[in-house]
Amino acid sequence: MSIAPIELEEVDRLPQASRALRPKKTGLVRRRSRTGLLMTAPAFILVTALLGIPIVQAFYYSFTDWSGGLQPTHWIGIQTYITEFKDPQFWRVLENNALLLLTIPFAIGIPLGIAFLLNERVPGWRFFRTVYFLPTAISWVVIGMVALRFFATDGLLNHMLAGVGLGSIQTDFLANEYQALMAVGITFVWSMIGTNTIIFLTGMATLDLSLAEAARVDGATTSQIFWHITMPQLKRFIQFAVIMTLISAFTALFSLIFVMTGGGPGFGTTTLEFFVYQEGFGPSGLFATGALLGIILFVIMAIVGLAQVRLLRSKD
Amino acid sequence: MATVRFDQATRVYAANHVPAVNGLNLDIADGEMCVLVGPSGSGKSTALRMLAGLEPVDGGAIFIGDRDVTDLEPKRRDIAMVFQNYALYPHMTVRQNMGFALKMAGRNKADTAARVDEAAQLLELEQYLDRRPKQLSGGQRQRVAMGRAIVREPQVFLMDEPLSNLDAKLRVSTRTQIASLQRRLGITTVYVTHDQVEAMTMGDRVAVLKDGLLQQFDTPIGLYDRPANVFVAGFIGSPAMNLLAGNAVAGGVVAEGVTVPTPQLAGVSSGGRVVLGIRSEDLIVDSSAPAGEALTLNVDLVEELGSDAYVYGTIAGTDKRLVARTPGRRAPSRDEQVKVRVQPDHVHVFDEATGVRL
Amino acid sequence: MTITAPPAPPTTTPPPPLRNRSARPPAGRVVKNVGLFVVMSIVAIVMLYPFYFMIDTSLKSDSQFISGHGHSFASWIKLNSEIPWAHELLNSTIVCVCAIAIILVVSTMAGFAFAKLNYRRQTFIFLAIIAALLIPMQSIIIPAFYNLSKVNVGNFNLLQSYGAAILMYSALGTPFATFLMTAYFRGLPDDVIEAGIIDGLSYGAIFRRIGLPMAVPAIVTVVVLQFIQIWDDLLIGLLFLQNTDQRTITVGLGVLASGRTTDFPVLMAGSILSALPAIIVFLVFQRFLINGLTAGIGK
Repeated sequence: MSIAPIELEEVDRLPQASRALRPKKTGLVRRRSRTGLLMTAPAFILVTALLGIPIVQAFYYSFTDWSGGLQPTHWIGIQTYITEFKDPQFWRVLENNALLLLTIPFAIGIPLGIAFLLNERVPGWRFFRTVYFLPTAISWVVIGMVALRFFATDGLLNHMLAGVGLGSIQTDFLANEYQALMAVGITFVWSMIGTNTIIFLTGMATLDLSLAEAARVDGATTSQIFWHITMPQLKRFIQFAVIMTLISAFTALFSLIFVMTGGGPGFGTTTLEFFVYQEGFGPSGLFATGALLGIILFVIMAIVGLAQVRLLRSKD
Repeated sequence: MATVRFDQATRVYAANHVPAVNGLNLDIADGEMCVLVGPSGSGKSTALRMLAGLEPVDGGAIFIGDRDVTDLEPKRRDIAMVFQNYALYPHMTVRQNMGFALKMAGRNKADTAARVDEAAQLLELEQYLDRRPKQLSGGQRQRVAMGRAIVREPQVFLMDEPLSNLDAKLRVSTRTQIASLQRRLGITTVYVTHDQVEAMTMGDRVAVLKDGLLQQFDTPIGLYDRPANVFVAGFIGSPAMNLLAGNAVAGGVVAEGVTVPTPQLAGVSSGGRVVLGIRSEDLIVDSSAPAGEALTLNVDLVEELGSDAYVYGTIAGTDKRLVARTPGRRAPSRDEQVKVRVQPDHVHVFDEATGVRL
Repeated sequence: MTITAPPAPPTTTPPPPLRNRSARPPAGRVVKNVGLFVVMSIVAIVMLYPFYFMIDTSLKSDSQFISGHGHSFASWIKLNSEIPWAHELLNSTIVCVCAIAIILVVSTMAGFAFAKLNYRRQTFIFLAIIAALLIPMQSIIIPAFYNLSKVNVGNFNLLQSYGAAILMYSALGTPFATFLMTAYFRGLPDDVIEAGIIDGLSYGAIFRRIGLPMAVPAIVTVVVLQFIQIWDDLLIGLLFLQNTDQRTITVGLGVLASGRTTDFPVLMAGSILSALPAIIVFLVFQRFLINGLTAGIGK
């Protein structure tokens, strides 16, 4: 079976047809697109219907005097917004949220340290890993109740302080506005330790050891390796943890506050998410106000979230 | 009866870009083992995937037998494919992996089981039938991938670099197994590889591709003895063919101060620039060669292979490298200077501008 | 021809005995390990303290709690009459199971499609779903409540049944679940899917028979994380399960805690009860959790 080799003159020329060609869509590609669309539709519909539409509605209602349908609704425009912005309570609440932001470095730093400890794989580390993550399984309600007792006048914290000789600063931590907020903050950090530790441990499992080894051969110190080799690889995970922590701080603390302090004393621990509940469902509340505050919360979340992503991305 | 025909088949990824596969014309006979070979980016895998139906055909057509399959979905083409990374279903046993396609097609269990057992026997996989892919070695997984294709009894086998993930020794033994298997089953096979040794040893005919264009489609010996252009000449054969630039003169070529008679060139204009190709076995180390007929080589590396030796060096006074083959154990040593002469009837001449064989 | 005996094998001295390197690590390493162990134990105590506190307190009667001494089962017995805990546990289970089922169906389909079935505009839809992560529960609670109060299925209102809560939990859990599943499916090799196409499967069949079985770690991760989140949730349960008959255990506990009951040990007993299922689920599945998370965030 010997075939004459193809004459090269024919082959070298660019076929005329290909100059006018565009990539075609085969039946297979069309089927894939259609199936893809169909399969993502349910998620999209579910989220849009139950989350997307309400957010738009909240936006709309925040410009009205909506009372949940009990009375006719009138368009008020930005009047409610103005009232709210003039309300000193509102700013107090925002201040609380801002102060809570200060806990985030701790909520990231401590788990990072713990993850490094665990990563040393001391015998029994798996047991510790389980133990550290266990608090994540408890609901905020329970944590709140325990924390309530912990910070109380006759609670464990005060006992410990007395034991160490700092009896002078014993107090009912939950009676003072800023101290109560701090107590809430500490509790928050404590509860985030489990989740974030797992996130960072996961990250360390993906580390490429050969990079560190190469650096060591090149003469880098442990600290240099840590900052210039390990940390950049963990950046993705730190980013993820920060976003998750942030979302928690701004939305999940409701239950904790509900049980631990009820927002008090005064407005000491009323964060925005609690304020939404209070103003919307509380005795003096208007649904419209609740909606409005909800929108403000969302906007803040969106801004912080996006700023987050942009900030960390630019450091790449 | 399944021939495979590519008819001006073309694939572009974006309009007005150079096509990945450019007007490919290939006529593959029934039962033939056709190897597509070329460097990465040559379009060989793309061409295979076009045949499989995994890539759309933007121009031209593809035929299996006398059916135009250009717009048909893969499952209608009656083909089976072996992937480079084997693509075994990790959660299924070997038996299930091999029988999966038949099960999906609705065959009865007894029939499927029979075929799976037959293929397993052929590939010596009987003892692994109930294992999962992750419990198998690379070579075993490769056989399972082949088994999965065999069980389908398709009209065409498609193989996409099935040996590249195996270690060297396994590659050599598996190569012969695949070749004999194909011969035994007699199913038309299109086989893609970047390794020209695989191509030469396995193919009935080999298609050399570069940058989406077919360079030559011929038997292995045909490619070796009569490369159609400079690229094929340099790609096929190991070590690579020596290529020297030179000028055509009456009845020969002058390169590096040596005139090489080339009788077959009668008719080419004198003074044209050409490329002279000489295989390493056609470059003889001969200290008795007269000056005008031999090149002087400064040896810098000798590869002693037992039966042969390859002498690498630079032509004295230049930095052009040559490799010559000598019988083993009698090779010159490093830093020696030797004379090499050319076997006159075994040179290849190519036009320098077009690269085409003259 | 004389046959020469084969040359005697060269005599070798026996290799020196191996130094027992694996038996004992060098001294420095041991000190480091012990130090780490101590530190980790301290951290463990900090993390475990509330559990100890809960258990200890629940095993006191109210008077014992106030005085600080003594243990008894009195509070557990009292819990029995305070809240219909068995019934509430059942409610929690029903809500969890249903919501997680919906979340899984929806997010696995979407995750597979986003990762492997590219289509135009998919980026937009993907972002729309993920952006929902930023929507705080509190912002949409009120309008959503209002909306669902208007929906009547059959002859009963959604809010009077599990329906409203299940829908809300599903919608709230879908963005994160979709994110995880998409990331996980991205890590699946394309050629396995192409093999499925060559074998003649439709994309739906590829999803069901190839994609899903390979995604088990991610699925378990989603189940565990969502279970904990839904089980422990207060706000949605409070607002969307108006029917006291359908209250979840967490809500029951929350109501108890904010009520006039000052019987703390009873509260602690209730807490343990409500926390137990989530803890058990976590313990059982933790290995999968790590796997799934690795794939999800590591991409």
